This record gives sequence, C-alpha cells and structure tokens, in this order.
Amino acid sequence: MKSDSEQGSGVLYPTNDGFFLNVDILSNIGDNQLAIPITTELRKAITGWFIPYKYNIERWAYALQRITGIGVTAYFLAHIVETGNVVGGLSVWNTPSEGFARDIWTATFQFLDNPLFDIGLVVIGFMLAYHTINGIRLTLTEFGWLQGKPARPDFPYEPKSFTKSQRAIFWFSIFFATATAVYAITVLFGV
Amino acid sequence: MLFHYITGLGIVIVGGIHLFTVFLTGSYLQNLAFIGGPYSVIEIYKNVIFAVTLELLLIFVDYHALNGIRVILIEFHQGRGWERGVSWILTIAGIALLVYGTRTILIANAIII
Repeated sequence: MKSDSEQGSGVLYPTNDGFFLNVDILSNIGDNQLAIPITTELRKAITGWFIPYKYNIERWAYALQRITGIGVTAYFLAHIVETGNVVGGLSVWNTPSEGFARDIWTATFQFLDNPLFDIGLVVIGFMLAYHTINGIRLTLTEFGWLQGKPARPDFPYEPKSFTKSQRAIFWFSIFFATATAVYAITVLFGV
Repeated sequence: MLFHYITGLGIVIVGGIHLFTVFLTGSYLQNLAFIGGPYSVIEIYKNVIFAVTLELLLIFVDYHALNGIRVILIEFHQGRGWERGVSWILTIAGIALLVYGTRTILIANAIII
C-alpha cells in the first residue's frame, strides 16, 4: 500500500493496519506530537473500518458495532425531529388543539410513507437488532463472562479472545438482524 | 463507561416496550395513526406510564448515542483539546436533544382529546 504523496518528504513507518504513517521529521522538533494533519488521521481512522485486510471476525464485529451505532444515532436524531411534529415542531409554544396536532402528524406520516424511507427503516431495523445482540455480548464480556481461560499461544496463533460462546452470540446477532429486516419488509411493504 | 452499559441494558428493556406498543399490539398503520386505536400516537403520550417510558427511553438513548459518538471520536484522535472539545460539544448537543424531546412529550401529554 502506498503512502499519501501530499504529505511531502518525511519518514515512512509501516503500521499493523497496512498503512504507512508519514512523519515529517523537521516539523517534529520541539513537539511531542506526530505531524499528521487531523483530517488525514480521521480519514484513515474511518476508512480503516472498511478495509477487511487481515481482519478476523472479532474485528468485523467491532466495525459493524461502530457503523450500526452511528446509523441508529442518525435515526434517533431524525426520530426526535419527526416526533416533535406531534406538537407542531418549534413553531408551537403552547398546547395545540387536537385537530391542529392531528393534521401536522398526518402530514408528517404521509410525507414519510414512501418506499425510500421504508427501505431506510428496514436497514435501521437490521442495524438496531445487530447492535442490541452484539451489545449484549460486549456487556457480558465487559463484566467478565464468556472470556474463556488464558491459553498458550500456539501456531497458527489464532486469537483466543473471541471464544466459542461469543462466536455463537455474534452469529446469532447476524441471524436476528436478518430476521428483523425480513419482518420489517413484511410490515412495511406488506409482502 | 459503566453508564454506557447501564443505559444500553435500559434501552433493551424500555425500547422493547416501545417497539412492542408500535409493532405487536395490532395493525402498524393503526398504531402510527394520530388517534383511533388503543395504542395510537396520542394515546401513548396521554398515558402517564407510557409517557414516562418514552422519557426514560429518550434519556437512555440520548446518553448512549452521544457517548458512543464521543468514544468513536476520541478513539480516532487523541489530544487534550480534542477530547475536551468533543466532550463539551456533544454534552451541549445531548442536553439540547433532551430538552426538545422532553418538550414534545410534555406538550403532547397535555393535548386535550
């Protein structure tokens, strides 16, 4: 993998992710921090999630947990705005009449009732289900369950942290998320 | 991070109730209509127990989501200024979301039907 040429002259350090850190020695004098522009660092940090090179399944679980978390957060923001329309949004500052609120809610629901948003809801359903089950796995491991015993590192040095029970929960989370997406399709599209 | 796990488990319970009332208590279209069914939108807001459930869900998801974004961002880049800036901006955003969501629940609860 090549390094970014826009970084100018510097020293290349290979990292475990297959990237090269391009560190400009001259700009580091008197400074403890590596001279990488923050935009480059953030871009590499995000794209690292999507590069499966040398990933094991635990790292896939991690990347999916992050991506689904961001997706569900985006849905949460939209949901707060959407449900705010029950009372007429920010233009209303006292209790509206029932007819006013009903008209605004019905208009909002009709605006959202199209295949584009329905497909979005199917994806959100998948994300929410995966994030829930995998999150339960993470909670269990955080407090010490499903960890397995420390083992001697033998060839081929497969990571021991992702135990069989954790694998089972991970694959169940994928299955459950798929089932949720199928259920969402049947509800939203009436298949 | 302990709160992240506590709110996560809280969401499983309270969010489960929320999804149950929307999807498993009858027709989806009836439950998402403004009025007309036992679990329609305004009936949920008018019911004190369900309104409290929604408020709890709002608090839990608000904390869990924004703390999750915070964790991701301070994993991407380390630095005192970055961490403090990210934490403050997301705290303010979280409080704003909490206030707006609570306002929705309180006003909808007060609508006379």
